[in-house]
Amino acid sequence: MLSSIFSTLFSMRFLVTIVRLATPIVFAAIGTFIAAQSGIGNIAIESIMTFAALASVLGSYLSGSAWVGVLFGIGIGIVTVMLIAFFSMKMGANAMLIMIALNTFADAVAIFVLYLVTGEKGTTASLTTPVLGSIDIPIIKDIPILGEILSGQYVLTYLCWIIVILLFIFIYKTPTGMRLRACGLNADAARTAGINVEKMRVLSLVLSGIFAALGGIYLSLNYLKIFSRGMVSGQGWMGVAANGISAGNYWILILSALIFAIFRAVSIIFSSNSAIPTDLVNAIPYLAVFAILTIVSIVNYYRVKRGHVEEQ
Amino acid sequence: MSETILKLDNVTKVYPNGTVANRDINMEFEKGEIHSIVGENGAGKSTLMKVIFGIERPSSGTVTYKGKETDFNSSMDAIKAGIGMVHQHFMLIPSFSIVDNIILGDEPKNGIFIDKKEAAKRCQELSDKYNFELDVNAKVSTLSVAKRQKVEILKTLYRNAELIILDEPTSVLTPQETDKLFDQLRSFKEQGHTILFISHKLEEVKKISDKISVIRNGVSKGTYLNEELTMQQLTNLIIGRDLDNDMNAYKTNEDFHGEKALQVKDLYMERNGKPVLDHMSFAVKAGEILGIAGVEGNGQQELVRCITGLEETKYTGEIDICGNVVNDLKIKGRRNLGMAYIPEDRMGDGIAGALPISDNLISTYYDREDINGKIFMDTKAIRKTSEDLVDTFAVKTKSIDTSVNSLSGGNIQKVVVAREYNTHSKFMIAEQPTHGIDIGSEEFVHHKLIEMRNAGAGILLVSANLNEVMSLSDRIIVMFDGQIAGYFPKAQEVNESELGMYMLGARHQTPEEIGGALND
Repeated sequence: MLSSIFSTLFSMRFLVTIVRLATPIVFAAIGTFIAAQSGIGNIAIESIMTFAALASVLGSYLSGSAWVGVLFGIGIGIVTVMLIAFFSMKMGANAMLIMIALNTFADAVAIFVLYLVTGEKGTTASLTTPVLGSIDIPIIKDIPILGEILSGQYVLTYLCWIIVILLFIFIYKTPTGMRLRACGLNADAARTAGINVEKMRVLSLVLSGIFAALGGIYLSLNYLKIFSRGMVSGQGWMGVAANGISAGNYWILILSALIFAIFRAVSIIFSSNSAIPTDLVNAIPYLAVFAILTIVSIVNYYRVKRGHVEEQ
Repeated sequence: MSETILKLDNVTKVYPNGTVANRDINMEFEKGEIHSIVGENGAGKSTLMKVIFGIERPSSGTVTYKGKETDFNSSMDAIKAGIGMVHQHFMLIPSFSIVDNIILGDEPKNGIFIDKKEAAKRCQELSDKYNFELDVNAKVSTLSVAKRQKVEILKTLYRNAELIILDEPTSVLTPQETDKLFDQLRSFKEQGHTILFISHKLEEVKKISDKISVIRNGVSKGTYLNEELTMQQLTNLIIGRDLDNDMNAYKTNEDFHGEKALQVKDLYMERNGKPVLDHMSFAVKAGEILGIAGVEGNGQQELVRCITGLEETKYTGEIDICGNVVNDLKIKGRRNLGMAYIPEDRMGDGIAGALPISDNLISTYYDREDINGKIFMDTKAIRKTSEDLVDTFAVKTKSIDTSVNSLSGGNIQKVVVAREYNTHSKFMIAEQPTHGIDIGSEEFVHHKLIEMRNAGAGILLVSANLNEVMSLSDRIIVMFDGQIAGYFPKAQEVNESELGMYMLGARHQTPEEIGGALND
């Protein structure tokens, strides 16, 4: 039994699985990261993913086009962050409370809407929905080993990694990116340099909403091909955790997201093995989040104790 | 005939809550002059600067810049018009390089990207042109305070500022650095820049200004040519009476039998692998003020944090308060042994802003018998104590139930000093006790410190303000790079430039000379 698990762990399929599982977590991670860069802690990622996952499937069903579904999902992501921006920046409400509220009712609202449209409370399986497929890359797909990982992945996975690179360039190489970071590091300094801090924060929130939405859309429209209740199941929070670990370092952010994906993949392999209780196995990625965050905090604590302090 | 660059006509600023910050201010600034604006805290200097810099709009009256009436919606408009401001609290991003800090908001571009090469070139040229001696690729977090200030000035020059407002620029500098800054300001003047200099250090104002404008209680008390104004006249214009400067006259010298209020032995602490406190040993006797001078960031903060028990980083050495080793005690334990503390960060550590004055006046000894009943607090006693303290310390407020936040800086500091005074402690740490407060309140705080000293308290005075250290202290220690660089057993006999040499690390005493600080 163990040998079969280990043989899977070191197989090519395992790597392919990791890439697939990484997509939503990476989306969630960069979504949290871009908001954090401008000084906003966006913890509504999980709910945005849920809303977008459902909206995209419904949009695709109603319009008959998967890509219109994608636009639906992104639209709902933007609407959600604009609500957060409106209530917190314009009306002076506590952003944290708004986001907690969103997260709390996200699942319930999704199920309610699902019921209104389909009459069912579990999945959209009864709807015939156009979905997004995979892409085979000519030439590369014929390369042994590498071809299996790089080719044949889902459309949004490719989009995800393109965004990862473009976002890096945006944040660190363009004027707008630099201004956005300045808002997060010292809003007063940014303001006195003539930067419209609120505008920058809204921009970063919108990007955050789009990325989180894409994570949700990937889950429903691309990966599982249906919406089912509870499908986001903490992947948004893993993105938030990855951002916490990154401490503002972009590549550590991506790496953390990948590590969470590896643990998810491991849990999936173990769950196919009936000898271990499923609930325990399903807990692996969350325990990993817990363990990694704990280690990071302990390391930071001792760094301060030993007198290593960095000025932001 | 020189031309007028900035003109204020009947500028009045009334805040929505009814506070009149400026009333009918008329001032005129000529191109190429260094023009100081002086006044107490809350006199309306900052509001006036905000009006000029476009952060606030005047309620009535007009601001005319270069012959055109201004209509600034934000500081961006002022910057575009050619006005630059160096804020008292630096507006820098420590993790960015000097270049990035300078170009932020006005970046040279190459397509959609920032043209880093061009940016670095322009900044370096600018730095070289004005002899700033900066490596523009360095991270701001690695720079000294004086260099950070240069970066702030470069920021305004990069945006072609013709009128540069400097808000309390010398509060963080050593005398030598101040002299250098003044040389630079004079060279700016020669190149046609106009300098608007805000300060409450009058010696410096006298040293650098061509003209001086005084504001008191929001009203302009006139503009004067520097040479036609004596120091005494200036003080009189600012506070409306003469100032009492000679603190030594108030000192009495009772014998407290060489009792030690504080003794620090071989204190050592590292940060990022570098010693920030490097084997420091000294003692504070009962009935004396030991002043610690030094440029900010040479370990003073860490020293105070170690002594008060706030420091989280591990340190070695021994700290002894009123005869007890306190290394293992937390703040409250140390206070119980007779420590009082006036913290540097008034708003953050000194007060609980939203709470009433009365609560803030007892917060460090709320458990003392006279105000603490058996189960509940003794409200009556607290009110009595608070009212007495507000009276004695002349805190300007309508009621002791007002929240501390709503007081001016000077009055908040009086609340903090009153509270610590009322602990009747044998040992007091006064960390920047008059930082950023007006000369009237400063004088008051100084008198109270002397009073405590005369009554037998040992006071450790940590201050970046050299005049303060020199006028209050009995003995002086200069800290440089975490070490005691110089020890002066007779504070009256040292002068400013001598201390300055030690503050900058240009001189360092022998271990034998420094050993005297321990007072064995």
